[in-house]
Amino acid sequence: MTDARYPGLGQACAAVLRRDLTLAWRQRGDMVLPVLYALIVTSLFPFALGPEDALLRRIAGGVVLVTVLLAMLLALDAMFRSDIEDGSLEQLMLAPQPLALMLGMKILAHWLATAVPLIVVAPLLAGMLHLPSPVMPVLLLALLLATPLLSLLGGVLVALTAGTRRSGMLLALMLLPLCVPVVIFAAGALAAAQGGLPWIAPIAWLGAALALAVVLAPLACAAALRIALDS
Amino acid sequence: MTSTHPAAPLLEARALCFHRQDEPVFGPLDFRLDAGELTLIEGDNGSGKTTLMRILTGLLRPEEGELFWRGEPLTWDRCSGEVVFLGHQLGLKAELSPRENLRFAIGLHGHREQSGIDDALATVGLAGYEEEPVRKLSAGQKKRVALARLLLIPAALWLLDEPYANLDRTGIELVNGLLETHIAHGGAALVTSHGAVQFHGGEPQRIRLHD
Amino acid sequence: MAKWTPLWLHKLSSPPVFYGFAGKLRPWAIALALILGIAALYGGLVLAPPDYQQGDDYRIIFIHVPCAWMSLFIYGVMGIAAFIALVWRIKLAEVVAMASAPIGASFTFITLVTGSLWGERMWGTWWTWDARLTSELVLLFLYLGVIALYHSFEDRRQGARTAAFLALIGIINVPIVHFSVNWWNTLHQGSTIRLLGPSSIAPSMIWPLLTMMAATKFYYFASLFGRARADLLSLESGKDWVRQIAENEVRR
Repeated sequence: MTDARYPGLGQACAAVLRRDLTLAWRQRGDMVLPVLYALIVTSLFPFALGPEDALLRRIAGGVVLVTVLLAMLLALDAMFRSDIEDGSLEQLMLAPQPLALMLGMKILAHWLATAVPLIVVAPLLAGMLHLPSPVMPVLLLALLLATPLLSLLGGVLVALTAGTRRSGMLLALMLLPLCVPVVIFAAGALAAAQGGLPWIAPIAWLGAALALAVVLAPLACAAALRIALDS
Repeated sequence: MTSTHPAAPLLEARALCFHRQDEPVFGPLDFRLDAGELTLIEGDNGSGKTTLMRILTGLLRPEEGELFWRGEPLTWDRCSGEVVFLGHQLGLKAELSPRENLRFAIGLHGHREQSGIDDALATVGLAGYEEEPVRKLSAGQKKRVALARLLLIPAALWLLDEPYANLDRTGIELVNGLLETHIAHGGAALVTSHGAVQFHGGEPQRIRLHD
Repeated sequence: MAKWTPLWLHKLSSPPVFYGFAGKLRPWAIALALILGIAALYGGLVLAPPDYQQGDDYRIIFIHVPCAWMSLFIYGVMGIAAFIALVWRIKLAEVVAMASAPIGASFTFITLVTGSLWGERMWGTWWTWDARLTSELVLLFLYLGVIALYHSFEDRRQGARTAAFLALIGIINVPIVHFSVNWWNTLHQGSTIRLLGPSSIAPSMIWPLLTMMAATKFYYFASLFGRARADLLSLESGKDWVRQIAENEVRR
């Protein structure tokens, strides 16, 4: 087979990214659901706690963070689900490409399709709870660092549940311990910004964690997938 | 393709065994497969044909025994790119068209020279369906899209798990035609089937699982 | 198995050998756990003097601290076994890792309950977001995640290997959680009273504490051996050595 032309890494990455984004666009109804969920949850808080501005302003940052996290958790299950069902994942694993990189591309596509819409509506959610506008850039920055981190951690866990039938609640249980530090630092930055204190330290920690996760999580994801499907 | 072991067969299995929860599934199994050879794996339902296929792709580890690819121990990264696997799950995205599915496969696995996506689709009898979402195609037509992938991707070894399922008479002839061309060009193939295979390029090697 | 491992270790990792070995050691471990546990309770609850600040309330440390220690120790054992299971694919390591998880979860749960009881007396509330209690709660969720993942697979060995991977991720996570929770606590000015002050330990309090730590460890080994033996029997139910054990049982 001397006439083989193997695709380069860039070409393969682009192929994975383009396919997953095309799929997400074809099923854009699914993309709207997490956003809708976040809107509903956020609008429930004033009903539960009363419409006092001062109280809502105090909790706004934390509520938006946790709501975005829960909305992402909702969509996490679908990251590899259809690929496992229709055999695409096997084809991906047999391709002459580094699996970790390909999975990294899949996680990136998933982040673009689920987390970016949530980040876009985050100012609206925060506005509903009267988050002071000077804190808004910090919220967006915190979300821009925290959501890819959650997608990457979630990707590893979804890979671990790849061989099981049901995984919704299981994922939540497994993700909770991993996302505690993420929530603490993201919310810490918001609280500091709201209190007029320097907020750069927790943001820097998030950035460091993200840099680490970008390198390690796809590798862990590939290893987890090989373990979980080895049967 | 040049190799460090010119005399070594493409794929060789020595005393291959597989157990599932300590129940033997098959084995011990010995066989060798050279370039330009077709091997049929025969066995009843539950005899471990699909399991054997998954081991040969490197997705599953055999419990005992050894596998060699071009004379060296087989690992999933050594043979990747030279093996193409067609299983029960076709690996097609229902929301994408055949053309988009095949373009993705090429982007990932590479492209044989002088073969276009539309030509391959025409060869498998799907001219005119290039833009249709795969979800609207029949089971047999989906299989044909997956067969078109065999035409496009460069691979020395085809692992076909039940390639005749869901296909009509012309479809079966199509599979046989594809196999004959592949073998004639120096490729090798392992095919599982529980039906009779009409193969014109000489009598294939047969492996029987379970007595 | 790599060549450099000692032969006795290699032998011990074979299920029938471990089964016999664990069966012989288990009664001794139970007996030691009982004797040491009773002695420690007597020393802690009767002999040790009351604390000048906390009165008799502090005596819960004789349960709380050894359990907290065990919750981390067992996670460590589980992590090491998980690593061995993934790298060398040894069945016994999978069994040990998965048998450890429920025991560790129980110790973590006891730690949380006793900590909460003590908090009620000291702080007047059942639960406080103290850094140590919160870390312990996260640890409980880590254990539960491992157990749940293990049981969600049909193939038990595959489930064990997957859950072992999760346990390894957890090992990296535990210090990060502890660090972040500490940071979060200083940010929000949490309670600062400690259950175990650095200076307030008298020798008459120390020996029951250490004895109880030994007792919990023996209990862990006894429980681990029992669980591992049962798991090995069901995993290897098709093998000859298990059949022989079953035949011997019938003959008796």
